[in-house]
Amino acid sequence: MKTILLLEDLPEIRTWLKSLVTQVFANAQIVECARVHDALAQVSAQKFELALIDLGLPDGSGVDVVSALRESQPEALSVIVTIHDDDEHLFPALQAGAYGYILKEQSRELITEQLQRISQGEPPLSPSIARKVIAYFAAQAKPPTDTLPHVSLTERESEVLLRVAKGFTLPEIGVQLGLSRHTIADYVKQIYRKLNVSSRAEAALEAQRLGLFRR
Amino acid sequence: MLHNRRAAPVSPSALDVNRARSLCLRLTLWLLAVAAAGLAFGVAPTPSIHFKQALSVAADSEFFPPEPIRARTVTLPDDWADTQPSDATAVWYRVSFDAETARASGELMALYIERACSSVAVLLNGKLVHVSGRLTEPVSRNCQRPQLIALPSALVEPHNNQLDLKVAGFPLQRVASHQRAGGLSAFELGPHAVLSAKHRWRTAFAVNLPQVVTGSLLLVGSLIFAMGWVNRAQSFMAYYGALLIGWALVLSRQWVSDLPWPNASSEFLLAILASFVTFAAVQFLMRYGGERRRWIDVGLPVQCALMPLSLMIGGAQRLHAMATFWYMVLAVQIAVAAMHYLRKAWLLRREQFWLMASLGGAMAVAAGIEFTAQQLGIDQRAVDAAQLVPPLLFMGLGLRMVQQYGRALHDAQQDRIELERRVQDAAAQIERNFAQLADLKVEQVTERERKRIAADLHDDLGAKLLTIVHTSDNERISTLAREALEEMRLSVRGLTGKPVPLLNALGDWRAEVMSRLAQAGVDGHWQAPTEEDVPQMLSARAYVQTTRILREAVSNIIKHSGASRCTVRCTIADGDFQLIVQDNGKGIPMELDGRLDRGHGMASMKHRAKQLQGQCLVESGPGYGTVIRLTLPVDRHVAPA
Repeated sequence: MKTILLLEDLPEIRTWLKSLVTQVFANAQIVECARVHDALAQVSAQKFELALIDLGLPDGSGVDVVSALRESQPEALSVIVTIHDDDEHLFPALQAGAYGYILKEQSRELITEQLQRISQGEPPLSPSIARKVIAYFAAQAKPPTDTLPHVSLTERESEVLLRVAKGFTLPEIGVQLGLSRHTIADYVKQIYRKLNVSSRAEAALEAQRLGLFRR
Repeated sequence: MLHNRRAAPVSPSALDVNRARSLCLRLTLWLLAVAAAGLAFGVAPTPSIHFKQALSVAADSEFFPPEPIRARTVTLPDDWADTQPSDATAVWYRVSFDAETARASGELMALYIERACSSVAVLLNGKLVHVSGRLTEPVSRNCQRPQLIALPSALVEPHNNQLDLKVAGFPLQRVASHQRAGGLSAFELGPHAVLSAKHRWRTAFAVNLPQVVTGSLLLVGSLIFAMGWVNRAQSFMAYYGALLIGWALVLSRQWVSDLPWPNASSEFLLAILASFVTFAAVQFLMRYGGERRRWIDVGLPVQCALMPLSLMIGGAQRLHAMATFWYMVLAVQIAVAAMHYLRKAWLLRREQFWLMASLGGAMAVAAGIEFTAQQLGIDQRAVDAAQLVPPLLFMGLGLRMVQQYGRALHDAQQDRIELERRVQDAAAQIERNFAQLADLKVEQVTERERKRIAADLHDDLGAKLLTIVHTSDNERISTLAREALEEMRLSVRGLTGKPVPLLNALGDWRAEVMSRLAQAGVDGHWQAPTEEDVPQMLSARAYVQTTRILREAVSNIIKHSGASRCTVRCTIADGDFQLIVQDNGKGIPMELDGRLDRGHGMASMKHRAKQLQGQCLVESGPGYGTVIRLTLPVDRHVAPA
């Protein structure tokens, strides 16, 4: 039995999402929250396998919940459920530790399909996000950071990302590279993790730089 | 070129040269005169008579003293310091001559006296024929001025003419310089035409030239003084100007004849002028070398006061001795200052050093000649030349200073212009930066405002539309709400103008289509150009609309068709972008009016295609599967990268 966190402030949408989640994950225990504050309390109180997190909430951003979850429960899968489809909103969430995103206005069947893939251990990774991740690590590679561990993608991870960017599905890529579905999914998770680690290193570096300036 | 002899003894070699030259000249003049006279009258000219000896007696009387016993013969040139009583102020000289030939030729006779210091009266046969100036105090100062006296033919006897010269002057001890001590040079009697040429030359050299130089020095000096005065940072110019003016006054002794005060005062003034010149010279050298010493600033004016005081105490009788002493002291001061300056220039400004060193050298030579002339007496022409050297050098240096000043002024103007230009550039740069900053600010503000509006719309309108999408039972209404939401997003992001690379769009579509088909258990096939073939861009609107059409088509296949296989082909050909979605399902059932089922969203797909100036054709029949052909004109929606 899975424990799922559902963070959504609009009651109708929350209800709708809950029915959807119940449909995909039978027998799941769903914990509903409408505020970041409540969600953070829940995260520190119990373990979750999956979290569906809205970004724009009345008392803050869902990104904080993603970070908290990544910090205390690294095994939990955070998925962003949002009305924003732009990288400006999505990429920080992915950097904070989310595994993919789902657009709220999509049809019931589309979202169901996506959730099903997640339930099968296949984290969502759209081509546009893959392109963004490639560009991000390419930019990271340029300035060598001496003080912090340099995070870079392995050749295999880059290969997977490039193929995702071209529109190949994860099972397809598995076939192309002669790897199992499961292995490919692990690669994707690894890529998300590295994105998170790298962004945290970046943040630490930024903090250090600011500290140096202040001194 | 002139027969020219000083009162002081002349060295034998100089004398020889003079004799040879004067002989030569005389010969030439004589030949010229012969030619002229030969042409006019056919008579030879009268030769000149040179008086080398004269009967002399010191007496301040109206005529040659009648008592002949007191008179004695002196050799000309006669220097009073050697032959006359130490208190003599007037000395009579007498010579005799015959003028038979001159009278016979009817020529006008003249007497040429090179130096009669300081003033002379000439009597021919007891009749006064010439006075060079005042003979009593204040005696005219004509030591440097040559005299030409025409002798009236009526007074000239054939034989035994008596020529009396009364020279008024001052003994050596009462003048500041040997040049102005009483005395008479040798003189010459001859045809007026010949002697007047000599006289003109001598006057030009000894009187006119110094006059011109004095004027020039005054002019240049005043100019430089004024320049230095207004610009205190260059005070050396003021001192230099003062030096030039002082020197001009010193030089004026050469030609100023009549002063309204007695000789003693004139000599006194001339002597103290030297201290003033020294003051200016030393200060100039110090300041020009970039130095300023307090004790010099004080010492020199004190010296200027001390010198006249000491001369006054010494009295008129000891003027020459004391002045000579002072001249030595002052010369040493200038020499020391010059050496000091040159040493500094050598260390700091080598180029300036050579100029000033050559100037100083020339000055030293000129001073040496002057000094030698004072003490020993040498050729007057050398002295005259030596006297003109310093002023000329002064003027040269003065003009150089004016030039430097002018150049500095020019440089300053250039600098000012350059500065103005830079200020203008800087101002322009600032304006540009400001404009850029303003633009940036506008951009930032616009961006911030766009984000704020976007956030508001998403939070409010977006949430409401979303609620409609997911709560409405009516499929059409939820579709409309979904479209409104997408439309809102497009508008808010301003993406209408921001095209998407077609290659990226193909990747996005492939991922969605293939994963959905796979999820539904439909065998998906995707055919699209590879990246080398797709440089085109797709407008944001076309991208969104095409995504919807494709999504709709795939939804239909999954929901209604029961197909086991779906093929999507993308082609770019003949300026058209074509998307073909084909399935092997059961096809779309016909409505009663012969049109395809509305519930399958065909109408909205066609409508979207029409909005993009393209078309969407649906071929379907029960049991035949469905083919959807979307064609978009590439010239409107697929632009080259």
